[in-house]
Amino acid sequence: MSLTNEQVVEFAKKNPISVGCGVLIVALLATAYFRADLPGEAETELEQKSSEAARLAANLKNAAHLKEHFDAVSAAQKQIESRLIQPKQLTTNSQYFYKLESETGVKLLDQGQTALTAAQRKDIKGNYLPTVFTLSVQGDYSQVLTFLRRLENGSHYCRVLTAQCSNSSAERGGQLTLALNLELLGFP
Amino acid sequence: MLSLLKKKSEANVPLVPAWHPNFRNFERLPDTKVVRTAFFINVFAITVTLVLLLYVVRKEWDLHTVRVQIADKEQQINRDKPGSDQAVALFKQFQGEEAKVAEVDAFVKSKTAVSTLLIHLGETLPKNIAIDRFDLGKDGLALSATVRGAPDQASGQATAYIEQLRADKELAPLFDDITPTSSGRNPQNGRIMIQLFLRFKGVVGKDGKK
Repeated sequence: MSLTNEQVVEFAKKNPISVGCGVLIVALLATAYFRADLPGEAETELEQKSSEAARLAANLKNAAHLKEHFDAVSAAQKQIESRLIQPKQLTTNSQYFYKLESETGVKLLDQGQTALTAAQRKDIKGNYLPTVFTLSVQGDYSQVLTFLRRLENGSHYCRVLTAQCSNSSAERGGQLTLALNLELLGFP
Repeated sequence: MLSLLKKKSEANVPLVPAWHPNFRNFERLPDTKVVRTAFFINVFAITVTLVLLLYVVRKEWDLHTVRVQIADKEQQINRDKPGSDQAVALFKQFQGEEAKVAEVDAFVKSKTAVSTLLIHLGETLPKNIAIDRFDLGKDGLALSATVRGAPDQASGQATAYIEQLRADKELAPLFDDITPTSSGRNPQNGRIMIQLFLRFKGVVGKDGKK
């Protein structure tokens, strides 16, 4: 036995509440089914946005004194650059050692700058370039030590790679000879 | 529909043989029960509908709440982003500058200050020992020294000096091995001469020891 349209309409007219509720239930189930994924997606989006917002807020919080720190580092950087040598300015670099010679009283026996090859320059990865110098000075113990201290704590950044110090003469308290192989930090 | 079925089922009840013909039309007679079946069906349908409606409304409300929160976070992001971008850019610049400072610091600290080492050796040198040669190389420091005094006493002083160097707290962070490399008498003045090698920490020696 099949239902005709008239019978369905008549049945709906006789039972409006139950039929209306049935239609509503179907509609609500369909709504619940098709929108079931939305809360999960929204939660995921909320988590992403929350972490992004927290990251930005943390950036702002951590940057509270960043400007002051940056200014301090920039000032230090300017000071550093004022103490760097220019490797290509050979005469200026030599002048530094002659000045130390005159100030400390040692006798500069030999002085030379080792130029880096293009390949060596390429290998250096830092912001600055250490330039190698060889020096040989003569003087008494006090003079040699003063020269060495002035060199290591002087206006340019210096590190001594090798050092040989020995008596120039057989007698004690005589002249010392100091041979140095050192690096001064410079601009690349 | 159910009421119709109900009526039919009542109609199908076997009847006691009537003493007169039954002319009642069960199809057209009303449902005479105290509470009609349609009432229960309607109550059930309304209850299910309301529960489902509450469930869907609750879900939608939760979704709405989350979306409001998302909008709030987006507003916060839009507010903080320009400042944060500026801070990040400034921090990158800061890192660049800091790296340069760190590079200089590493350069300066990478090697021992020779003047400091010389002064320390001079200050701690025993009375009868004189250093003739100071040779600082890549692997360590070679020292040549002359010991004044009778050979038997001088040898003891040389040994004591080596022990003193080994126990020296200032030298300990720099050198991990202090060994005499040669010892003998100077043919010109007859004094004992010793040669020492102070190996830098972390340098592998000829014997393979680190």
